[in-house]
Amino acid sequence: MSERQSAKKLATPAGTDADDPFAALPDAILQHILSFLPVQPAVRTCVLAWRWRHLWEGMPGLRITAANAPEPPCAPDDLVSSGELREFVDHLLLLRGGAPLDSCEFMFDVRADADVPHVNLWIRHVIRCQLRRLELSITRENDDRGLRFHVDNLPLVSRHLRRLELYDTELNDSFLDFSGCPGLEELEINNGGFIRAKRISSKSVKRLSVIDCSFNDRFRTRIDVPSLISLQLDDPWDRTPVLGSMPLLVAASVRLGTGCVMSLDWCDTSDSGDCDDENCPGCYGLEGDYRTAIGANKNRSVLLNGLSEASSLVLTDDSKAQKFIFKRDVKWCPTFRKLKTLVLNDYWCVPPDFRELACLLEHSPVLEKLTIQMFSKGPEHEVQINGSYRPMEGSTAISENLKIVEVKCEVVDEGVLKVLDFLQTLNIDFNFEDEEEILAKDGPTTPINCIKKWKV
Amino acid sequence: MASAGSGDEKAAAAAMITLISSDNEKFEVTEATATLSQTIRHMIEDGCTDGGVPLPNVTSKILARVIEYCKKHATAAAGEEGSSSSFSDAAFLEVDRAFLEELEEFDDAFLEVDRATLFDLILAANYLDIKGLLNLTCQKVADSVKGKTPEQIREMYNIVNDLTPEEEAEIRRETQWAFE
Repeated sequence: MSERQSAKKLATPAGTDADDPFAALPDAILQHILSFLPVQPAVRTCVLAWRWRHLWEGMPGLRITAANAPEPPCAPDDLVSSGELREFVDHLLLLRGGAPLDSCEFMFDVRADADVPHVNLWIRHVIRCQLRRLELSITRENDDRGLRFHVDNLPLVSRHLRRLELYDTELNDSFLDFSGCPGLEELEINNGGFIRAKRISSKSVKRLSVIDCSFNDRFRTRIDVPSLISLQLDDPWDRTPVLGSMPLLVAASVRLGTGCVMSLDWCDTSDSGDCDDENCPGCYGLEGDYRTAIGANKNRSVLLNGLSEASSLVLTDDSKAQKFIFKRDVKWCPTFRKLKTLVLNDYWCVPPDFRELACLLEHSPVLEKLTIQMFSKGPEHEVQINGSYRPMEGSTAISENLKIVEVKCEVVDEGVLKVLDFLQTLNIDFNFEDEEEILAKDGPTTPINCIKKWKV
Repeated sequence: MASAGSGDEKAAAAAMITLISSDNEKFEVTEATATLSQTIRHMIEDGCTDGGVPLPNVTSKILARVIEYCKKHATAAAGEEGSSSSFSDAAFLEVDRAFLEELEEFDDAFLEVDRATLFDLILAANYLDIKGLLNLTCQKVADSVKGKTPEQIREMYNIVNDLTPEEEAEIRRETQWAFE
């Protein structure tokens, strides 16, 4: 040993490129560096030198990908699971034992059905290593039932888990009951399958993203996360999930139809959930629909009720086919008593009465900033028209604090002008100080007369 | 963005911290910048930053780079580091996305340094407990050995193989499952 130490000292007199720069770093940092490598090359560093032979056993992070993973690893379906991976990971997990783990990523494709219970067991094992962050990015390219990996129908139990990221995962009620993970604060679900999942529940999750997930068409999945501070719900497919009460919510973004596919959450005859057909599930109740009152006046708000405590909201619907969930919800519009910033899109701006837009504004008593994106998703918008609210005596229809109103669009067309028209009926004035700039940008496509009409 | 935010910024701007490098150079930074370092954050909490914070393990050259990193990331730090109380209002708004892209570009440029500086930055990030900087620099080192055999890694970093051939054979036998 002492011989080795003196050899090491000889090798590292000062910081030039000719020396081993790792010599100056403590073991914990070397292990941290190894955590950024896929597990196979990380373990193979054990033959570098005497000092390195057991370092892999204490790596705080594991990136478990297939042995033939390309460099850098890309999509999980490029990575083929194999008997080799199974043997490797069995060795890795058993030999490293229960050493604490900060982070663990599973990223590969499972080809054989027989490997599924095995992989589920790995997941349970790493959870027991005081794991703080888990990422599952496991696919089933060859599975007739679909691309997603089915996780065990068992709850996760860990006091240590703080962040969970799920990609292409087929979920179930037991797994999504996070009462066994009281420290879980961040949950991100991408392309998840909720076909058999009726509920996500956690008392601790503060930040939730549910992106491009598939839901059932027979029931609404409930999202019960009462401690949530920030929510992102993008493009749910089939029945839109119901949001439970979230008294601590600060910011939320709900974007429907961003994938440009037709949603299945709709009704043939009504665009706002009042088709008068008691048997219509979309309009008159699915299992899971929210019900707070008994009798004729049932509150079946799917999204808006849950969002009512937010101070910042983005609510957009870009679906091509009819999509009615927001319009249905508006009938039970709650008061957004803390809402200061609101971003909407053209979905909300339906002439002649602009009922939905008017309703939201009436129910947002302290709103400070309103942004309307008319057929322009951004982030770059060709035209931006700024306006401001001029409170008048006796007019209390909308927030007195509304200082900024922005209308963003590609071109100032008739639709945009109608929105501006409507907003002016609420005493919101638009100032075209930047008129020349708008004209220069848009050239002759902008109806100049219309713009001039709006000049204050 | 939010009215509360500008108040905080004002308060932070008022509180300046002096950092002193190993070669006795003084750096004035805002508290918001300095507290990206958990080590310094704890010192501030304990009220022992009057007269400057001596950092005997960090040279002025490295400290200047570290401060450059912290300044850039200080504004973004609120959302990171798991402090749940400060989720940005604009978490989903365009402003944020643009800013994150800008941060990424900054990080890429920041990492354009020679090997000695990179390892000094790792040591400084570790000592000052700046998680983002430690991850960034360690990732860079990990990337540099990706796809390389143990022999190539040794050569690349001048790692002296102090294992006897017998010892190396023994380790390879023990971890055969990793070398197949």
